[in-house]
Amino acid sequence: MSEIPLPSTVKRVAPWWLIRHETMLAAILLVALIVLGALNNRFLTLDNLLNQGRLTTEVGLIALPMTFIIIAGGIDLSVGSIVGLCAIMLGYSWKNFGFPLPLAICFSLGIGAAAGFFNGLVITKVKVPPLIMTIATLALYRGFAEGISQAHSVRGYPEWFYFIGQSDLIGVPAQLWLLLIAIVVAGIALDRTTFGRTLYAIGNNETAARFSGLAVDRVKLIIYTLSGLMAGLSACVLVSRVTTTRSDMGIGYELDVIAAVVLGGTSIFGGLGTIWGTIVGLAMIQLLKDGLALTGVKGDATIVVIGAVLILSTLVASSLQRRRDGV
Amino acid sequence: MTAASLTRAGADPRRLLKALVSQEALLAIAVIGLAIAVGFYNPRFLATRNLSDVLLGNAYIAVAAVGMSMVIISGNIDISVGSLIGVLATVSGTLAVDGAPIIVTWLAPLVVGMLVMALQGAIVAYLRIPAIVVTLGMLSILKGGLISATGGKWITDLPDSFHLADIEIFGLLPMPVFLMILAAFLAAFWMRYSASGRAIYAVGGNAEAARLCGISQPRTIVMVFALHGFFAGIAALLYATQLRVIQSTVPPNLELTIITAAVVGGVSILGGVGTVIGSTLAAVLIAEIASALVFTDVSPYWIRAVQGALILITVIADILRRRRMAGA
Amino acid sequence: MTMATDTHSETPALPLLSVRALEKSFPGVRALSGVSFDVARGEVHALLGENGAGKSTLIKIVSGVFPPDRGEVIVDGTSVNLARPDDARRAGIATIYQELLLFPELTVAENVFMGHAPRAGAGRLDWRAMRDKTKELLASLEIHDLYADRVVGSLSVGNRQRVEILRALSQDARILIMDEPTAALTEYDVTRLFDIVRRLKARGVAVIYISHRLDEIFAIADRVTVLRDGAHIATKRVADTEAAELVQLMVGRKIESLFPKIAVPIGEPVLEVKDLERRPLTKGISLTVRAGEIVGLAGLVGSGRSELAQTIFGVTPAEGGEIKIRGHAVDIRSPAQARALGIAYVPEDRGTQGLVRPMTVRENFSLAALGKVAVGGFIDRAAERKLAADGVKRFAVKTSSLEQIAGKLSGGNQQKIVLGKWLANQPKLLILDEPTRGIDVGAKAEIHRLMGELAAQGLAILMISSELPEVLGMSDRVLVMREGRIVAEFSREDASQESVGAAMMGSHDNAEKAA
Repeated sequence: MSEIPLPSTVKRVAPWWLIRHETMLAAILLVALIVLGALNNRFLTLDNLLNQGRLTTEVGLIALPMTFIIIAGGIDLSVGSIVGLCAIMLGYSWKNFGFPLPLAICFSLGIGAAAGFFNGLVITKVKVPPLIMTIATLALYRGFAEGISQAHSVRGYPEWFYFIGQSDLIGVPAQLWLLLIAIVVAGIALDRTTFGRTLYAIGNNETAARFSGLAVDRVKLIIYTLSGLMAGLSACVLVSRVTTTRSDMGIGYELDVIAAVVLGGTSIFGGLGTIWGTIVGLAMIQLLKDGLALTGVKGDATIVVIGAVLILSTLVASSLQRRRDGV
Repeated sequence: MTAASLTRAGADPRRLLKALVSQEALLAIAVIGLAIAVGFYNPRFLATRNLSDVLLGNAYIAVAAVGMSMVIISGNIDISVGSLIGVLATVSGTLAVDGAPIIVTWLAPLVVGMLVMALQGAIVAYLRIPAIVVTLGMLSILKGGLISATGGKWITDLPDSFHLADIEIFGLLPMPVFLMILAAFLAAFWMRYSASGRAIYAVGGNAEAARLCGISQPRTIVMVFALHGFFAGIAALLYATQLRVIQSTVPPNLELTIITAAVVGGVSILGGVGTVIGSTLAAVLIAEIASALVFTDVSPYWIRAVQGALILITVIADILRRRRMAGA
Repeated sequence: MTMATDTHSETPALPLLSVRALEKSFPGVRALSGVSFDVARGEVHALLGENGAGKSTLIKIVSGVFPPDRGEVIVDGTSVNLARPDDARRAGIATIYQELLLFPELTVAENVFMGHAPRAGAGRLDWRAMRDKTKELLASLEIHDLYADRVVGSLSVGNRQRVEILRALSQDARILIMDEPTAALTEYDVTRLFDIVRRLKARGVAVIYISHRLDEIFAIADRVTVLRDGAHIATKRVADTEAAELVQLMVGRKIESLFPKIAVPIGEPVLEVKDLERRPLTKGISLTVRAGEIVGLAGLVGSGRSELAQTIFGVTPAEGGEIKIRGHAVDIRSPAQARALGIAYVPEDRGTQGLVRPMTVRENFSLAALGKVAVGGFIDRAAERKLAADGVKRFAVKTSSLEQIAGKLSGGNQQKIVLGKWLANQPKLLILDEPTRGIDVGAKAEIHRLMGELAAQGLAILMISSELPEVLGMSDRVLVMREGRIVAEFSREDASQESVGAAMMGSHDNAEKAA
């Protein structure tokens, strides 16, 4: 074939569309904050905002590795069940095995990591598609949680344990510090390390990534294990906040997490996304929930809105992406 | 007849063997085998009352699994069906309590079910949003919508004529079982003998090849979702009419049970293969396992773990089988 | 033997299929520029050309996948408008692609009749008629070891291909196009395929047969059309020509675009391969490449060269045999390992395997050498930019900035990035797979110059190429592969278009035996 040189007007810089999506989102966030603040003067108080931050932590911790996973072209629907399983194992190992609480906490985190690792192992070695695998483990892990706990809940944890979930450190809720640290670490990892670069490569073109000598399978194993680990951490924070463990904890988390990630500009098809975007997405969803609550809409109805947000943001992102690529 | 004479006659001896070890046959054996095994351990399991309760109470899951099988065969997935069934049941019950003609209360869930599912199918097919995202979002919309609309209240005061599930065909066959068998056979027949039925397998097996055969992938997907909504409507009707009240929620993770039934029934999660007869048998098996757990003093709280393990094992076996076939 | 290019031989009667002045362009590429030829009833017409010559574009137009920019397609005297694959089907044109488009979980009969199944009463599918008709078709082609009820996924490649042929016949195809039909077949299957093709011929079906295998073309085709760079070069009766002439027509371009070869001292062996085995297409390969040496690996498409490269590179690890890198025996199980051993592989398919097109020039340059621009896992942006900037300068990559999306660059520039990204690793062994395919003359010359420089610096280079002038011009030694084995080795002096070409195609004896 003889080549016709391309016109030199092509000057698109790589993620400029993405930057625009996130700044758009941040702008919407700002507007929403102002509007809600105007509608309800309890809203914009520092107290309320910090409390919102506290409530976001549990979902937020999980949304970070979920961002990694979706950027790399995968998905993890089992996170909610891992939260439930880890919560149960925390209570069970403390009460029934007699572990001292710190050990029980480590044990619970270990279970989370193991659950995530199992996901990653079957996905990379047996090559079961992530969607199917995590639907299966969504059932399996929830099943373990229900089976082991026999629907009994565990209470009566020592006082110091509630610090993480309920108290403040320098005026900011303790678990929010945890989330902030996690955000910084995740953001740096994604943006500035070879690990993060590998994720984008896998999500954009897994074959080329492999052919370039990147350790694709190892990275995938890591992100699914991280997802499980963070779900475990989230479970501990949750238990600390509500002072009890139950087998139905974490139900529906996957919706909130995925909605936050997608709303934040991460493409469901992979290859695109940032931690900053996920944070903005998280904030928007929490804001939405809070705003709805303050106007009298009850808890259950908010998931209607979250579901709609998920579908709409995927639609918008998808059509924007098509326009970007199709020119 | 020797293998050689069968071959000469043009038949494929391997096909006969395959029929014997087909998923459907294995499931039927498992259903009977499990019943016998548990019956040994605890004879009360085999009491007619128990067996009929298990069957009647879970027939609606088998009906829903018929539609779900079609969706999965076409290469998609749906996790909103559980919430949809809850919504449809409430719609039906509300109409009944408000005095609508009974036939309307029975048809309404079918129509609404078809519309809601067809909408999802259209978004998947034409807007190219992955089915998991659409149905995940819809699941929440339906679930949250139901709770806020009903406020968690149960529907009581249902007119007697509403209870479809109590009707017995020819005084013998209870309606749920009748509908379960009817749905399975009608769907199986349609999927075997109609071009649109086969199109589902084509689109799920190799969408590009299907396109070149003149099969429209978007239209097939919308059709499949609409049919899925239809069967979900029937399931909702059975669910709504079997007790004196309609609860404000459906059993938790209902969609998962339905997916398990389809997958264990031989529907490959990668699309292109499976039968509704298999998923019906699998639905019966799963219900049987749940009951068996009670009768063998294993806590019923383990049922979800069993479901998860079943899906996992079936899927892994399927993937390994495909890889072996591709390598051949 | 006439060397004059008679552009068209006589067509006896009214041709069944005729294409006139077809033109087709894509952004950045002119795929077809005014191609015309015809095919008669009952004729087997071969279509010959290098990769990128325009064969697949031509086939897609005739199959209705997309319309031409200009020109027309005439079937049986009537001009047809092939806007969709359905139109082609209705005009009696059936195409069998290399990637067989079958439904692996469905039976042979159903695959054959998908989309046009026979009906019984009340419009329901008539499975018995489907089975019976399939059996009839099988019998008419004298195929006795394929059952209508078998699931296609369990069939061998040869049988799957037969299912596709049955499909075409079931729709009364009058023109059958076969794209590289023998690429994945065993010799036995090839013989059977020829039987079938001859039967079809006898029935008046016109067959357009695309293949690189000249011995097959001489065995089965009546006429052959050669395309090059999107243009029609010649149409000849197979009886009136011979392999060497066809190769010349296919490839014949002046060699002056190549950089003159510099004599470079050859050092120690860098790569030593002994009896390497990997199913299906690597059968007992042994070769050596030394530092400073350029070894050209010639062969027809499907001879197993890329497979060999990918086995050495760890994408498809070896199942038997030995690899030694710089004297040490190694077991290469992944590209990451290969890279760590100092091996670099510039793949054949740069779009899917070489580049991550949605990412920037800078990101692609560092992709195989992230370790070099990172400290403790953290990417040093400045170092990365410098790496990319150096690469852009050294390889003269034409891009508006380092942040330009790689996929928007021309083929030649994309290839330079792939090459550059691997060189950033300072490899000891460089395996190039079709390094200048689909690239303009200027970029080609640059890449050849680069190769010379790299050899002078002591790199060992294994170059896979289907372009004979490139192989002859660049290599110190030429190895020829055919059907998974190395069948010939030539020194630079002994290698010529005739000697290498003959080794690539295999002898004429085979071709006559099959006839």
